[in-house]
Amino acid sequence: MRDELERIAIPDADAASERARAVVLAAFREREPVTRPRRGRRVALGVVLAACAVALAAASPPGMAVVDRVREVVGIERSAPALFSLPAAGRLLVGSDAGVWVVDQDGSKRLLSGYREASWSPFGRFIVATRRNELAALEPDGDVRWTLARPGVAQARWGGTETDTRIAYADRTGIRVVAGDGTGDRLLAPADRAPFAWRPGARHVLAYVSASELRVQDTDTGQVLWRGNRGLNAPVRALEWSDDGRRLLVLSPYGLRVYEGRGRLAVHREAPDAGRFTDAAFIPGTHRVVLLRNAGDVVYLDTQRTIFRGSGLASVIPSPTQGWLLVTWPRADQWVFVGSGGRLRATADVTDQFHSRSGFPRVEGWCCAKR
Amino acid sequence: MAGAGRDERAWVRAAQRGSASDLEALFHAHWPAAYRAAYLVIHDAALAEDVAQEAFLAAIRNLDRFDRRRPFGPWLHRIAVNRAIDAARARALRRESELVEETASAEDHEPVDDSVLRALGALPPEQRAVIVLRHLLGYTPGEISSLLELPRGTVNSRLRRGLDAMREEL
Repeated sequence: MRDELERIAIPDADAASERARAVVLAAFREREPVTRPRRGRRVALGVVLAACAVALAAASPPGMAVVDRVREVVGIERSAPALFSLPAAGRLLVGSDAGVWVVDQDGSKRLLSGYREASWSPFGRFIVATRRNELAALEPDGDVRWTLARPGVAQARWGGTETDTRIAYADRTGIRVVAGDGTGDRLLAPADRAPFAWRPGARHVLAYVSASELRVQDTDTGQVLWRGNRGLNAPVRALEWSDDGRRLLVLSPYGLRVYEGRGRLAVHREAPDAGRFTDAAFIPGTHRVVLLRNAGDVVYLDTQRTIFRGSGLASVIPSPTQGWLLVTWPRADQWVFVGSGGRLRATADVTDQFHSRSGFPRVEGWCCAKR
Repeated sequence: MAGAGRDERAWVRAAQRGSASDLEALFHAHWPAAYRAAYLVIHDAALAEDVAQEAFLAAIRNLDRFDRRRPFGPWLHRIAVNRAIDAARARALRRESELVEETASAEDHEPVDDSVLRALGALPPEQRAVIVLRHLLGYTPGEISSLLELPRGTVNSRLRRGLDAMREEL
């Protein structure tokens, strides 16, 4: 029986061994001294006490005033009451209950109502947006170029060159691809949904996460160019290519992986035992990664230098030109723009500004910083 | 067991002191069996790679606390096989979607006699695990009972039922 079991061929076993060896050795070299459980317990106790305090405060009508005061002391004290302008070039796409908003650098906003989610075309000239059963290509002023009716459209990303683009989107059948002019719609990956990210460049190469692996596939030929480890049993929170298309970042709550070349693992970081990774992104024009840990610390991955710290942060979005980071902060109902040299610009009442009733607005992209 | 004995204790001791080359020696000694065991339980190469890799990473995380007088293999196999059982159960829930991938990728490989693999794959993950631990990794039923934290009678019955079912299939 043993011989029989040892004779069974495992597909791609040598490559798997090599990948695992690299990951294990990288993790070993980066391992840190044992964590400090006592401190963790204190933090946990603090969180529980804070939660109890907020719950008690909210339980009575006069308590609402207390909640408001608590809210006031969270966030940047000197924040602007509205988003008067963006600190760097480009435009933002923001999703809220009301629809999708296009925010210009001068702070003016346009609502594309009824859409649930959107992303920029590669050069920021168009937007692809989704409703429950519809995919739509729009101009930023809201003019609809074309629509495609599909069941349960969930996410869409636009990639390609100035002359030849593709849109990947997910619906109930799986991940599908359609040309930028709305023609040639076809199924790429049955049963898979999201996330996915186009590699910048002329070939239409899509990275996506299947149930069991990370896959990088030429969508024109169907050829899978390489496969990678997606991490175990955890949703992928960020999947993003560097601007030059040479590196691919995959973030889950428990691990961050950066691949290069044909799936060679360049970086692998595991979250500490009691920690979680919240968000990550490449700094445009570089291979540098900015990481949000434990919804509280924004750091550069390479130097571990802290850029910004808060409690209850949600995401980090680099400006398309280097120099600024947008940190979204639902707990404080603020956006904080963090500039080089520690400059801070905060704007308050974000939820109201984007007419959101039930959730904090999501930044879908800072044109043309692809998300 | 692969890598058992004095060499292994020396590798563990040196790895605990930070030696990457000794950690690599441990990896080379134990990866093939851990990966194969995970694959035979899960029947998905990519997922088995994840499971075996995560087992090694978990071992590294706890290396400082490892009692080096004990053999490394059983410790690693316990983590890998338990995670493989969990992964196989989770995978069974999405079997319908996986079929598309399996069909597509089957064309990429040479035809082989996979009757044993198919017979093993027809068993529940819990039976696969005890058969793999007994007949691939060579543990006794008593050791398997300890590794999987199961009563010895349960291990014996899973072994018997699993082997009977495989015989019928073959």
